[in-house]
Amino acid sequence: MTRGPNPKVDPERVMELEHAVIDGMDVSGHWNRMFEQRVIFDYDIHQLDRVTELDGGESMGWCYQCAQCVPVCPVDHVGTYGPRRIFRNLQLGQDFFANDDLWLCTTCANCLRVCPKEVDMLQIMPAVRKEAVLAGDVPKELQDVFEKTARYGNPLGKNAKRRAAWTKGLDVDVPLISELDRKVDVLWWVSDYPSYHPRGIDASRALARVLTHLGVDFAILGAEERHDGDSMLRAGESGLFEMLAEQNIETLNQYEFDVLLTTDPHAYNAFLHEYPQRGGTYNTAHYTQFLEERIEAMGLTESIDRTITFHDPCYLGRHNGEYEAPRTLIGALPGSELVEMWRSRENGYCCGGGGGGMWLDGLAADNQSMRLSEKRVREAVETGADTLCVACPYEVSRFEDAVKSTNNDGSLEVLDIAELLAAALGLATD
Amino acid sequence: MSDRIVVIGGGPAGLEAAAMAGRLGAPVLIVEKRSHLGGAPIAESYAALTHGLQSAEELMGKMMAAATDLDRVEVRTESEVVAMSGTGGNFTVTISSNGSEETVDAGAIVLATGFQHFDPGRETQQYGYYEFPDVITIQDAEGMLKEETFVTPSTGKPPERVAFIQCVGSRDRQIGNEYCSKVCCGISSKQAIEVRQQVPDARVFIFYIDMRMYGYWENEIYWPAQEQHRVNYVKGIVTEVLAKNGRLIIRGEDTTMGRPMEVPMDVVVLAVGMEPSPGTRHMADILGIATNKYGFVETVHDVLDTVTTAVAGVYVCGSATGPADLDDTISSAGSAGAKAVAYLRSGAEVPA
Repeated sequence: MTRGPNPKVDPERVMELEHAVIDGMDVSGHWNRMFEQRVIFDYDIHQLDRVTELDGGESMGWCYQCAQCVPVCPVDHVGTYGPRRIFRNLQLGQDFFANDDLWLCTTCANCLRVCPKEVDMLQIMPAVRKEAVLAGDVPKELQDVFEKTARYGNPLGKNAKRRAAWTKGLDVDVPLISELDRKVDVLWWVSDYPSYHPRGIDASRALARVLTHLGVDFAILGAEERHDGDSMLRAGESGLFEMLAEQNIETLNQYEFDVLLTTDPHAYNAFLHEYPQRGGTYNTAHYTQFLEERIEAMGLTESIDRTITFHDPCYLGRHNGEYEAPRTLIGALPGSELVEMWRSRENGYCCGGGGGGMWLDGLAADNQSMRLSEKRVREAVETGADTLCVACPYEVSRFEDAVKSTNNDGSLEVLDIAELLAAALGLATD
Repeated sequence: MSDRIVVIGGGPAGLEAAAMAGRLGAPVLIVEKRSHLGGAPIAESYAALTHGLQSAEELMGKMMAAATDLDRVEVRTESEVVAMSGTGGNFTVTISSNGSEETVDAGAIVLATGFQHFDPGRETQQYGYYEFPDVITIQDAEGMLKEETFVTPSTGKPPERVAFIQCVGSRDRQIGNEYCSKVCCGISSKQAIEVRQQVPDARVFIFYIDMRMYGYWENEIYWPAQEQHRVNYVKGIVTEVLAKNGRLIIRGEDTTMGRPMEVPMDVVVLAVGMEPSPGTRHMADILGIATNKYGFVETVHDVLDTVTTAVAGVYVCGSATGPADLDDTISSAGSAGAKAVAYLRSGAEVPA
């Protein structure tokens, strides 16, 4: 920090990156020294108007700066982003459409929960992001995922034909509905990470075993299933969402089933709130809800000997009000104890994966002191639990990475609730 | 023993007290210094009233009619009370009109002499009210809004940017007015809505310490101002108004950003607070009733009786007792009118 000759004059804040490479040129140190503008010389309201004039953006102008959102915003804890500040920055003329802040919101819905003015980031973010997407102003890592999803039907960019490959060599039968040629009781919407990600596959195989153990008549779509699109919609790619929803509804409407069973709370959310107005109305259940109803029939006998803490998925809990089903299941595990983290249920902290955050690790790293998943893992460790139980396929990989990066490897195991149930049933493992 | 009630002041408070006493059967004499009834809303050309945005002129007209349509209510305009003698039930009030004096008997007196707007040049020139033509007060703004000619005074053109500065002359130990004037947040927000309606292209800002929009003012004024009329609220009142290259610059701190602020404005509206009117101070002397350190009239209890003074038979209402909005004023005035009648009718309380 340099100081002017008069010590009473507050110098403008100096910013200097120790290591900076711009377009291949090393500009570390004083070459990149910037003085942050301290004085506000104008209130350029038209940037705020640009947001409030969008369908869904109206409530951005309602903020009266009570700041209740700040302590509950998961991103606000790890950086300068915050819902209250978005409003003020807009009043100051910040171009929100071309700003990193636009992509930091995980649409976890905790700010809306406490907002007295009902400033609704769940509407505002997709509305503004949609404009940014149309203008091509999207972080490259997210744009890549949009393109992969459009091309392959899944954000991982995996071969669509190999979507059911996870069932290979499994000791139970996971039929494709297209091959059954009959109505099934349960059509299981497996989703992307449970189909392709190694740890997601572990949970899927466990859930297949549990369903089989219960004698459930179920099938999957296999290669016919595509990404549900919910997170694409929150991330602003509404065109991609519409395309996926149309294709998925067309696929689903070909088949007869009683229950649409979802692994992913984001898919669950889409089937509950987005698909019906587009012609796809299904009796949708999250797998924790489906299994909770069959808990007596399950016959959980094996002691698992674990102290478990549970992370509420934002799109199961706050978005759709389901807090009990996973806890009932955990409570039924023999030899287990549930210890809650200090922020749970309605106030549960976010893993960082929602609203496109799953594919914005680079942007998050540039703007945040730590990943949300790392902060959450520390909270889980604080409870003394040996197991962090999850019920959303975004979370296993995020939390396992965070366990390693926070040096908690070996002291905290991240397991899907289906994996714990399979263990308590004494079912086969891979 | 007189059954007449003399009401001093013909503004909203005096009119309501007179109408109440008159309806209860008492003969009433309203003594008004100005040439017209209706008080500050008429004298200061108020446009729409806070809250509800109804025409001040129309509503004051209704109040005047409610009082003066009663045969028992008599009005003396351009008249002043210059002396009072006697005790409760048997007052002798001397009234001066156009240089001539007369005395009337009164059983009770209701004081309704109201407030005056704080003079932003009285104690401090930090906002340049007497220096810059485009720095105006909320009552100056009322006049322009009533005529639907809200312009930048120096150019006669509609302004592009308008700033309201809250708490001018209120909540200030140096000035001596430590109290909150209660109505200015609401009035500024109401005017901001009117400016946005009359000059749709104008950007309107309100700089405040904290918005004091109690009760329904919150949802009926503050929220619509922000949500429908896009008035911009910025926390942190302005420290000073300076001129630079022919433009007004407001200087302060944007407190929620924690940054200094120097922003050009076309019109700066000072939300000046309320002080006791000269009439209130003067009449308190003549009637021998106590005032507080700010010059507002004191009542026998600050909670349980907000209209009875320590002098038997003398009542006070409206903004003569402290900052009050019109709703407060009407309520206290009705109470004062009724209590004055009750005083005259309850023999036990009336001195022989």
